[in-house]
Amino acid sequence: MNAAVATSVFGAFMAVTVVLGLLAVRGRGGGGGGITEWSVGGRGLGTVFIWVLMAGEGYTSFSYLGGAGWGYDFGAPVLYVVAYLSCGYAVGYVVGPMLWSYARRHGLVSITDMVTHRYGRPWLGALTAVLATVFLLPYIQLQITGMGVVVSTISYGTISLNWAYFIAFAVTTAFVVVSGLRGSAWVSVLKDLLVIGTLIFLIAYVPLHYFGGYGDFLHRVVHEKTAWLTLPGHGHSGMGTGWFISTSVMNALTIVIFPTTVAGYLGARSAGTLRRNAVFLPAYNVLLFVPMLLGLAAAFVVPGLTGSDTNLALFKLVVDALPAWAVGVVGVAAALSSIVPMAVFMLVIGTMWGRSVLSLVPRLSGDARQKAAAQCVVVIAGALALVLTYAAPGTLVRLSLISYEGMAQLLPMLLLGLVWRRLTTVAALSGLAVGVALVCTLVFGGHDPVWGVNAGIVALAANLLVALAVTYAGVGTARERADTRPDEEVLADDALRDDPAPA
Amino acid sequence: MLRQRPHLLWLLVPFVLFLVALPWVNRVHPVVVGLPFLTFWMLASTLVTPFAVWAAYRGDRRLAAKGRGEGR
Repeated sequence: MNAAVATSVFGAFMAVTVVLGLLAVRGRGGGGGGITEWSVGGRGLGTVFIWVLMAGEGYTSFSYLGGAGWGYDFGAPVLYVVAYLSCGYAVGYVVGPMLWSYARRHGLVSITDMVTHRYGRPWLGALTAVLATVFLLPYIQLQITGMGVVVSTISYGTISLNWAYFIAFAVTTAFVVVSGLRGSAWVSVLKDLLVIGTLIFLIAYVPLHYFGGYGDFLHRVVHEKTAWLTLPGHGHSGMGTGWFISTSVMNALTIVIFPTTVAGYLGARSAGTLRRNAVFLPAYNVLLFVPMLLGLAAAFVVPGLTGSDTNLALFKLVVDALPAWAVGVVGVAAALSSIVPMAVFMLVIGTMWGRSVLSLVPRLSGDARQKAAAQCVVVIAGALALVLTYAAPGTLVRLSLISYEGMAQLLPMLLLGLVWRRLTTVAALSGLAVGVALVCTLVFGGHDPVWGVNAGIVALAANLLVALAVTYAGVGTARERADTRPDEEVLADDALRDDPAPA
Repeated sequence: MLRQRPHLLWLLVPFVLFLVALPWVNRVHPVVVGLPFLTFWMLASTLVTPFAVWAAYRGDRRLAAKGRGEGR
């Protein structure tokens, strides 16, 4: 009975979602509008588009379910999410307008063709697209895992987790291929309303329902869960202050070149829009404390979850506390917080490949063929992430960390390259190779964190040192001299002149 | 860039609050408005961050206004 009610509510909302997605596309050529319409909404999404992408990063199932899971399991270490997002907006205040004006001046659409333009080598852009896609896979896996958890839980276990993962993959991939970015932007409004609404409701209701009020809830947390409240948190997490600081610094730097964030930057109308966004968006991070507190509450109510089962913490709590129809509604919020970001991730992959890889294949010229090919890449990427979900399950936060640790290795080549002309192709590439090799060795060898700090930042340091050493050793400078473009053509500036006059 | 835009130093505020201060705020007591101290500190820092970024933005706007004035 419960399962039927919750699943019906859930199914009804999912139908609304798909209809919304289709409505968004209708009248725009019915999905036949070519790759630009599909991947960047015909570049006509303006402010809504940016808000979707930027705020969306804060409200994926990573923060909604993963935040609760780590709060439940470890406690304080999960606060790194708030720390890196806040610091990341500060970095983005400088870097966002810089990338925006660079892309605008040279007609670029993603980090991969920025690399192509900076170094004048299309194959380097293609390589970046492949690497960035690989590093995005854990993030897509994260969303599949998150939505699978939701589907399985709201069916009260009728649908097993493994089947739920598959359903999550199928629904999202179909949604992406059909609706494209414009559809995702529409659905995301529904998503944000539901997520914010359910979070506020839960943080008001749960302490009252279980603990007799706020004061009592927090009192019990302080006295009974003391180990959870400071770093390194509960259990032998290995995540002390050194890990917290290194991870936050690395993520704050990496988020500004994360392909989805950059897609948000490039959609902005002006550099000034991005600066104003950087002022207001950090305020939204306040809501991220809610899932963490709910995770702690779940530690009292549904104890005993371990490993990747901690992803279930928030939902076990919801199922225990609320009637079936409400479980369905919370399920929709959580499922949409997987679908919308995942759609954007896949679209970004499609854009990167369409522009930097598939365009190098002569047979795929033509807009319609390129769109079809980009959609194939998207389906393949989704399928790979699904396989990873079965082969190497992990907690949601862990998956996000791996994604960032990999993506961080693109920092010297992209950001340093855009402000420092002397950095040679050979140097950037050697640094990247060392960084990627090191991060793979450490993460898959089970040495993350290493010496109490994030493995990604260790690899990033090695990456940077190698890039600097090769540049100063003068390797490949002769070839760089052949590139006679002036500095203004190759490097990015601070984009201050692009700011319109304040009203 | 910093010589021309010294106000960008405001952007270091979140890094100082969230990360540099961490060794001194990594504690449960004193409990403030019911929250363990580390959580309270992070929450307060989250609320302060928009103001720090705003201070940098204000500096840039003044710089832009000045630049336009000189350009005339």
